[in-house]
Amino acid sequence: MNYRKLVTIIDETVTEGGRPVEPVARVVIVAAVIDNPWAGEGFVEDLNPGIDKVASAVGELLAPRVIEALGAPLEAYGKAAIVGLDGEIEHGSALIHTLKFGNHFRDAANATTLLPAVEKRGPAGVQFDIPLKHFTDATIRSHHQSVEVKIADAPHPDEILIALAGATRGRPQERLAPLSTEQ
Amino acid sequence: MNSFIAEPTSLVDLSSRTTLDDYSEISASIGLRKISRTVEETPHEQLGNITRATATAVITNPWLGTGTGHELAERTEAIAPLLAKLLSDRLLDALGGAGNIEAFGKAALVGLDGEIEHAGALIHTPFFGNLLREALGGTSILCFVDGRATAGETLRIPLWHKTAAATRTHYQSLELFLPDAPQAGEIAVIAAASTGPRPHARIGDRTTDRQVTSEILKGIAL
Repeated sequence: MNYRKLVTIIDETVTEGGRPVEPVARVVIVAAVIDNPWAGEGFVEDLNPGIDKVASAVGELLAPRVIEALGAPLEAYGKAAIVGLDGEIEHGSALIHTLKFGNHFRDAANATTLLPAVEKRGPAGVQFDIPLKHFTDATIRSHHQSVEVKIADAPHPDEILIALAGATRGRPQERLAPLSTEQ
Repeated sequence: MNSFIAEPTSLVDLSSRTTLDDYSEISASIGLRKISRTVEETPHEQLGNITRATATAVITNPWLGTGTGHELAERTEAIAPLLAKLLSDRLLDALGGAGNIEAFGKAALVGLDGEIEHAGALIHTPFFGNLLREALGGTSILCFVDGRATAGETLRIPLWHKTAAATRTHYQSLELFLPDAPQAGEIAVIAAASTGPRPHARIGDRTTDRQVTSEILKGIAL
């Protein structure tokens, strides 16, 4: 899988709200900056050939790196596709909204739920938030969280930035009543 | 917000300790809120990957509420070595050891309730710089960026060669985004390093430069 750069971010929150976070909340983001497979081709009606060429390979590249950098069992996860200005948002969606991409992450993490996602188009250095939810039950409220990412020189207009995010636990000081208490 | 910071009660030996996964008592003593790492890998045909990394610690400003006459040395000597250890551990882990590191740099951003001098106190003394240099196997002075800022800043951290600062191929900067730091009462302290030069360095060096003075302005060809 060719990429221009691969960025890993490991964020550990030790204190939140003035109190220690135990265990420390670790969130990992791994992002690959790749060529938009449909760059310069105008409106492509059938995206499947490009999806087949790229989606599985990107998932295979990113998923094990998230698990390795987490260094502890994954409990929440999410994904992102940020398309450069010359592309369509549909191009990013095409690469991440397929089982060919997501199953690499689900299998590596022993997860079962669909991955929450952000898809957007923007200039290099655009800031985006990746939503994360619980890896086996997306209704578990303690694990709803987001991480902020910005990569200074990506995506170029003809590139797509694809990212996976994983967390070792729910929010640092999560203390909301579960969804079931309101039903 | 920061009331849990403990008064020092004992001496600890960090010299042989890897702090990667166990720093709860340390974090309480210096008001560590978060610690983060970024690792950027750029494939390169000749050099393999060039990997550049940052390590950031966000701590409570230990001098909040003190005036410009306040002596900074005592807290600097206690906190800066701890930060150097925490951050260099993470850079070494990310880049595979000091033997792989060719360039380095550092940074500190103080939140709006602090003084720029507070940021400097944590990185511009031997209590930080000497330890970081030793851990990364360097001899050069560390280049840096510092400032006072609100949370959400994107820094450009300068790096240069760790044993030969004038080596032009290794002049480079590394971008770092800090989404929620430093808060007004915090300081973000950063160490950064690279396993290589700029990807396609080709602007010569001091050894290849010809003599250039303002005389050259007389004969610029446009």
